[in-house]
Amino acid sequence: MKRMTTGISIVLAATLTLTSLISVKAAAAPHTNAELKIGMSQEFENLNPLIMSMMATTYMYALVGRTLVYMDANGKWQPQLAKSIPTLKNGGAKRVTVGGKETIQAVWEIKESAKWNDGTPVTCADFEFAIKVAASPNVSVAAKENFTQVEKLEIDPKNAKKCTFTYDKLRWNFSQMGQFYPLPKHIEAPVFEKWSSKKEGYETNSNYSKNPTLKGLFNGPYQIQEVRLGSHVTFEPNPHFYGTQPKIKKIVIKVIPNTGTLEANLRSGTIDAVSSLGFTLDQAISFEKKSKADNLPFVFEYRPSLTYEHIDLDLNNEILKDVRVRKALVYAINRQDLVKALFDGRQPAATHLFAPIDPWYTVDTKSVVLYPYSKREATRLLDEAGWKMGTDGYRSKDGKRLSLPIMTTAGNKVRETVQTYLQNQWKAVGVEVIVKNEPARVFFGETMKKRKFGGMGMYAWISSPESNLREQFACSEIPTEKNGWSGQNYTGWCNKAVDELADKVSAEFDDKKRAALAHQFLKYYTDEVPVIPLYYRSEIAVNPKTLKNMKVPGHLFAETNDAETWTFQ
Amino acid sequence: MTTYILRRLIQTLVVIALLSYFCFYVMTLMPGDPVELMIQSNPKITSADVNRLRELYGLDQPAYVRYFNWIKNVAQGDLGYSRTYRIPVTELIGSKLINTFILSMASLSLALLIAIPLGVISALKSSTKVDYLINFFAFAGISVPSFWLAIVLIMVFAVGFPPYLPAFLPAGGTYTIGYEPGGFAGFLDRAKYLILPTMSLAYLQIGTFVRYTRSSMLEALRNDYVRTAKAKGLSRSVVIWGHAFRNALIPLVTIVTLSLSGIFSGALITESVFAYQGIGKLVYDSIVSNDFNVAMVSFMISMIMVLIMNLMADILYGVVDPRISFK
Repeated sequence: MKRMTTGISIVLAATLTLTSLISVKAAAAPHTNAELKIGMSQEFENLNPLIMSMMATTYMYALVGRTLVYMDANGKWQPQLAKSIPTLKNGGAKRVTVGGKETIQAVWEIKESAKWNDGTPVTCADFEFAIKVAASPNVSVAAKENFTQVEKLEIDPKNAKKCTFTYDKLRWNFSQMGQFYPLPKHIEAPVFEKWSSKKEGYETNSNYSKNPTLKGLFNGPYQIQEVRLGSHVTFEPNPHFYGTQPKIKKIVIKVIPNTGTLEANLRSGTIDAVSSLGFTLDQAISFEKKSKADNLPFVFEYRPSLTYEHIDLDLNNEILKDVRVRKALVYAINRQDLVKALFDGRQPAATHLFAPIDPWYTVDTKSVVLYPYSKREATRLLDEAGWKMGTDGYRSKDGKRLSLPIMTTAGNKVRETVQTYLQNQWKAVGVEVIVKNEPARVFFGETMKKRKFGGMGMYAWISSPESNLREQFACSEIPTEKNGWSGQNYTGWCNKAVDELADKVSAEFDDKKRAALAHQFLKYYTDEVPVIPLYYRSEIAVNPKTLKNMKVPGHLFAETNDAETWTFQ
Repeated sequence: MTTYILRRLIQTLVVIALLSYFCFYVMTLMPGDPVELMIQSNPKITSADVNRLRELYGLDQPAYVRYFNWIKNVAQGDLGYSRTYRIPVTELIGSKLINTFILSMASLSLALLIAIPLGVISALKSSTKVDYLINFFAFAGISVPSFWLAIVLIMVFAVGFPPYLPAFLPAGGTYTIGYEPGGFAGFLDRAKYLILPTMSLAYLQIGTFVRYTRSSMLEALRNDYVRTAKAKGLSRSVVIWGHAFRNALIPLVTIVTLSLSGIFSGALITESVFAYQGIGKLVYDSIVSNDFNVAMVSFMISMIMVLIMNLMADILYGVVDPRISFK
């Protein structure tokens, strides 16, 4: 046994020595605008904008495809293919009644210079065709509503680039059409006509799948030169791009599935940069320290994102039914200290579900109940709830110990470390927390979905700014056997006032009034504590110091939406 | 012999049919499905979308219905569509299988080329310093974690550590992106990317092969026929290679043919670390993401290879040892 321990120690010591000494050599070939090689650890699928569902594909697609609007790195909506964004204020949109139903009509006009990469103009017919494909029951479009929300699309007979969208209902966010991608009708229509009657026939035979380098499939600053699924994609400038021609003449995005080797690939010059879909936070922090010590030519960009790490509380749990216990659990944890100790302060502590880059974010105590770390307050609340401290250091009531299970995705090092940290803090106020982790697919596919977590479930929500509150918080969205376990309200939080607010928020057109309603919701959310907020996850990119204009946005619209402005200086 | 092979082939077909259903059924029992993955990456997916997609993918059907639909399509030559990568399975798997085959064969050949002579030397020089040294080398191969060895190889040969060593091999990949000259230049380019993963995989196999060769050679060298051959005045090399080694081959044939059964299964860790475009990671991802069509094709290939290689091993026993007959 002793020999084995010695052997393991030697191997570990050797690894550490090698890992620390490796930093001596850096890949320092000067970068030019001739080529940029970006590494990412996530896989991608084919680049059909209607079918794609992976984040890596969305990242790549923004290099080759654009849509009407997008959200920039500052969180502002900007036109892409559209000449301007229609609003009620600028007269581009209006409230109308169609067939007795109140709805919205908006006029969209596509830029004159917008063309597919074979030179064919992008027109309203391409958007109309996208709706037709998305509406087909045989095509597996993930979020169908992105397309079918446009109930009627009328093309101006005098101008093929101008059209009026009539929406299916009143939607305050009618102009946020960042996922409403056009499909090149002149290329894809024959495929769709031939295969639309067969289940998944279109996507299997689409040119995006069969012939992805075909000219005419893309309208962004780049076009595809080569695709190797699972390996890399090479991009070259699209000569028909409507905007300024990209500065970098070739971009290669390479999949390096093992995040542990991203650093070695960067140092060896196999890649020049690591995208926001690469390093984990702990790896980035560790590499940044070495990089600074060795004066390596990289910059590390951390951007707090909309990804909200939190703990869902099962409100069916007898202990957690008492709001005083839920509040005590939040008071007992020092989130500021947690993010400082574990993440070097690179990820901000969360106060609620809206992240700082969300327009609804607030810490105003009129709208939010704040829970600063207070062991005393946690103790007081638990005493008040009848949980008395025992000689064993744990609280109990009616002979039952204050014990709760906490579950998360097994093998996620960061979450497991956070769990241990929290476990110790709760122990300090007499709460026993038992860790019961599961593989991600079991945790999400069975335990959370069927609300079997029994106490606390730790995971993250990836949201969009001003997100739909119904999906996560409406009483009707509580998964039950009766509704086939559909819905994402895993905590089981049911408050009719919250239901009404969620409906009002989605129908309110005035930004300020909508934010005020969202803040009313926040008051309920933070006061009733169905969820313990932990921190907002940060996105990390590692770039060469000489690469300019690449900004990590921290939301669903990747940095590649500005790829044409990237340049080496 | 022919009757024996035919009988084994029929048994093999029955086993494949039963195992394929078993694998399919077990996969359906796993929690989650491809739609769950979509929900995690797209906050705009609604409950209605989830139900619609499950119906479209047939995930609402019982396992046996889905299995028979799958087998019906396979019988028609349609291996299906990967729900993860959104392309037909044949297009996805083809090149990766070839890459894995090349890597596996290269590493297996290298391992055998090094391990067999080392094993024989180790047996001949039993309990000497040479034997201890070879054993140390073999045990290190068996014990070193593959990811650790792979990272060390990258550091030494691709990054350049220590700094005075030149970094002359690529850290990962399958070929130089944008450089596909074909012919000998193309072969050399691909070979350059194969060196590190081959070294990494081969070293792990060398340890096992050395130990097997050594022990079976030691066993063979103790036999009477070796003593008789020596007494007859035969040369040392004839005694070692013609008499002892040939008889030591049977356990080696077993281990090599079983290793060959995995040549299309891939090496998950090595392929991942070196970003090598093989089948190993694809199979792993397809199982994790419930990509049934890809996973099932991979299972079938693995099953067929294991069963065929077992049959091969049985046939080869008869070739290396004429005392074994098939009745």
